[in-house]
Amino acid sequence: MIRKILIANRGEIAIRIIRACREMGIETVAVYSEADRDALHAQLADEAVCIGPATAKDSYLNMEQIISATILTGADAVHPGYGFLSENSRFAEHCEACNITFIGPDSKTMAKLGNKAMARKTMVEAGVPVIPGSDESITDSKQALAVAKEIGFPVIIKAVLGGGGKGMRVAHFAEEFEKEFLTAQKESSQAFGDNHMYLEHYVENPHHIEFQILADHYGNVIHLGERDCSIQRNHQKMIEESPSSIIDDKLRKKMGKAAVKAAKAAGYTNAGTIEFLLEDNENFYFMEMNTRIQVEHPVTEWVTGVDLIKEQIRIASGRHLSYTQNDVQMTGHAIECRINAEDPKHNFHPCPGKITDMYLPGGKGIRLDSAIYSGCTVSPYYDSMIAKLIVFAKNRKEAIAKMHSALGEVIIEGVTTNIDFLYDIMERDDYQEGDITISYMDQVMKEMQEERKWI
Amino acid sequence: MDLKTMFKKTSINKEPETEPVEGEQKPEAPQGIMKKCNKCGKGLFTEEYKNNLYICPKCGGYFRMPAHRRIALVAEEGSFEEWDTGLVNTNPLRMKGYPDKVKELQEKAGLDEAVVTGRAKIGENDVVLMVMDGRFLTASMGAVVGEKITRAVERATSERLPVVIFTCSGGARMQEGMTSLMQMAKTSAALKRHSEAGLLYISVLTDPTTGGVTASFATLGDIILAEPKALVGFAGPRVIEQTIGQKLPKGFRRSEFLLEHGFVDRIVDRHYMKEELCYLLDLHRQEQRGDVTADIEEISEEVKLQGAYKPPYKVNTEHAKDKTAWERVELARAKGRPVGEDYINGLFDNFIEMHGDRYYGDDQAICGGIATFHGQPVTVIAQMKGKNTQENVKRNFGMPMPEGYRKSLRLMKQAEKFHRPIICFVDTPGAYPGIGAEERCQGEAIASNLYEMSDLKTPILSILIGEGGSGGALAMAVADEVWMLENAIYSILSPEGYASILWKDASLAQKAAKAMRLTSYDLYKAGFVETIIPEPENYTLDTMLDICVHLDDMICAFLKEKMNLPEEVLVAARYDRFRRM
Repeated sequence: MIRKILIANRGEIAIRIIRACREMGIETVAVYSEADRDALHAQLADEAVCIGPATAKDSYLNMEQIISATILTGADAVHPGYGFLSENSRFAEHCEACNITFIGPDSKTMAKLGNKAMARKTMVEAGVPVIPGSDESITDSKQALAVAKEIGFPVIIKAVLGGGGKGMRVAHFAEEFEKEFLTAQKESSQAFGDNHMYLEHYVENPHHIEFQILADHYGNVIHLGERDCSIQRNHQKMIEESPSSIIDDKLRKKMGKAAVKAAKAAGYTNAGTIEFLLEDNENFYFMEMNTRIQVEHPVTEWVTGVDLIKEQIRIASGRHLSYTQNDVQMTGHAIECRINAEDPKHNFHPCPGKITDMYLPGGKGIRLDSAIYSGCTVSPYYDSMIAKLIVFAKNRKEAIAKMHSALGEVIIEGVTTNIDFLYDIMERDDYQEGDITISYMDQVMKEMQEERKWI
Repeated sequence: MDLKTMFKKTSINKEPETEPVEGEQKPEAPQGIMKKCNKCGKGLFTEEYKNNLYICPKCGGYFRMPAHRRIALVAEEGSFEEWDTGLVNTNPLRMKGYPDKVKELQEKAGLDEAVVTGRAKIGENDVVLMVMDGRFLTASMGAVVGEKITRAVERATSERLPVVIFTCSGGARMQEGMTSLMQMAKTSAALKRHSEAGLLYISVLTDPTTGGVTASFATLGDIILAEPKALVGFAGPRVIEQTIGQKLPKGFRRSEFLLEHGFVDRIVDRHYMKEELCYLLDLHRQEQRGDVTADIEEISEEVKLQGAYKPPYKVNTEHAKDKTAWERVELARAKGRPVGEDYINGLFDNFIEMHGDRYYGDDQAICGGIATFHGQPVTVIAQMKGKNTQENVKRNFGMPMPEGYRKSLRLMKQAEKFHRPIICFVDTPGAYPGIGAEERCQGEAIASNLYEMSDLKTPILSILIGEGGSGGALAMAVADEVWMLENAIYSILSPEGYASILWKDASLAQKAAKAMRLTSYDLYKAGFVETIIPEPENYTLDTMLDICVHLDDMICAFLKEKMNLPEEVLVAARYDRFRRM
């Protein structure tokens, strides 16, 4: 029985987990680095153990210290949160060996899904769509064209030995394929002395759509709908929402089914996320599976009413899922903004420091997940995210209005944040219209540069 | 505001919302799952360092590696064929309990004895590979260990294979008394025969290599490598402390200490061990040698026309009067003039430096090692000046110590053994005049070089690239041919020294420079050097390419000619070269 949980993390996710535990009557142990003595998670938990110096490698990534702390404090389980050791299958393996319940999938499943090639193979075998590509390298252009037609245009032609964009070409139609193939091949021969090429379907301007799943130890797997995380800067998610504005019930059902199939094929347990790339023509492809709770989980919680952290703990303790697929109904619209201590005017450079004063909004449909308090220090050693502002309303339009209003109320003094930047995004017509692809932020940044705004 | 005491804690009056489990066990760490690193003292999961080549992931400290893991690390997969297992331990001292202990270890560690011997492939090289395993009575050497090593070395000699031994040992095995002591002589004798057959032996010192093993085969390698921070020494630390009544300094007799004191060629990180062994073995594999003569065809037309690439060299002396002797002295010493390191980088591929004289130290004023020249392995030795003050301090301003000359001689003898031509770059104000240098007899070190170089059975080429100061320069210039860069100098003494001896006035150095006839043109005319390499105006790294191309052609031609001569003809010609003077 899980009576006490050690939380191997810091910041808002540690607070989120402590709160869930407290509501469930489970005792909590926080771990903290020397730099985090005064951090909120170390204050809020029932017990707190210092596990080493500030650098993550010596503290929050220090497997030996964390497992020793678990055993010494008599905790039964470890919740890894996200980041740090959450997707380290060796850590999960060590927990298993020490009879500690790791709140997440088992180490073997985690290792399998963490390996790109193995994950892809599992998905192909399970019939989950992956980005089609040539299985073997090709040198003959006629043969290549036949393969390209099979894969479906547009296709990207890549040199087997390639790198740095050399020997890489996109062909949009069959008519231009041969020309592009020969050009790429010539480049490859010149640059790498090799003319072996491979082909892959080119996913042009996709949407980043991910499906939350839950799986218990008894073979029950459900999905909790999607999150649209297309707004990213340098592969860092910035704003997430659920449901996605471009997915209808039919497509949701289809993708959800694929997500459940993927989780089942992998023998997955606990909470996980299947990331897909979605094209405008509604074709979608498996990208990877995240074997942990995610930063943006609150938007799913709000539209489905499921407490994901509690469900994680229940599953890990050996309970059956509390919900069937039919119980899961998505209502309303939720949006999350990540508030970071960073300076959008200086290439989003992190801005650690002391928060001297702050005011955070509240009211109906507003949720703030954070670990900051007035007088706390934002440490330079860790991620710059200091708060997540999540809003919920009847529909997307109202949710955007609520987010806009709430962002306008947030006051954080002492460190520079991206709040005003997010505020501006909410005002943009193209954002309000929806239908956003992963190249959206590049476009926004370009426009801002031209308008000399923020840059 | 003390938040910790203000927050309410979890109420544990009610049962938590989790599933009860029957017969549940509390978390605990199973025996052996964690270990303390004996270097940094931090706790570690044993799996973590085992998967990291037995290196502590926290501090980078090295754990001892079991023999079979070591073999898997360096040998090609499936290539290892184990030899001589099952030799019977005779327990010569009839020691009670000893045979049982051996038997127990054989079962527990799954090892035959403290050394595993056999044949393996490293890269494309067939080798005799031996690895000691410290789990077996600290890999001490008794009769079985000595016998296994001796047999393997003998077989390597008869099958003409190189030997690689990873050493790790507490020394001779006390339980077998005098029999153990004799293993030191037995293994050393077998290695002597192996060496006399012209074969390569590489020893790799791992932590700890001590006692009778250090005093026998461990330190007899043609090339001695060591793992970082390995303890290597003869007498145990406790014995030394008791005898001399002093506490030993930190780092005493670790690999780095040995490198500094000239006993190991290189310290090699475990991650690169295979790569480095492979390269060294390749360099010594007969069929690996490139055909330097093929490249002669590529000699540029210009050089061919000048006829300047083979003896008798045509030397254009029309620029002889362009500069005064003193101007050339200043150019030879000029800051920014290419130094030994630049010639090594510019003319050779894959230079691998070998350190130490095996007696006292590793002199930074002389750098030597093996490289390839158009695929042909060569021994390259250069006197090294620094490029800035910091480097110059490290390199002692290019003034070698006796240990520098002894290192160069060691490398030259090694070159002779493996029939590698030797190319020397001379650039020194002179051998270092200091107390330590005299204590270790600078004179003897130089004399030995002259003595031995005169008779080395392999081609030697010396190129004067800057200052050629006296005996310190000559100790690297008893060669088949001596070439000189146009503005290099070569003399019995520095002009300043010469002026002060002859005229009791060092300020007359300019006058002395002229009188000494130390320029390339003077020396060429007098027959002390074979040829002069013309220099560009303002000779620096930026204008060095032409010189390198020129030298490259000339060295090709030199090697083509000399390598095809019978050794006795070569040595006789070298004798005559100096006999005439």
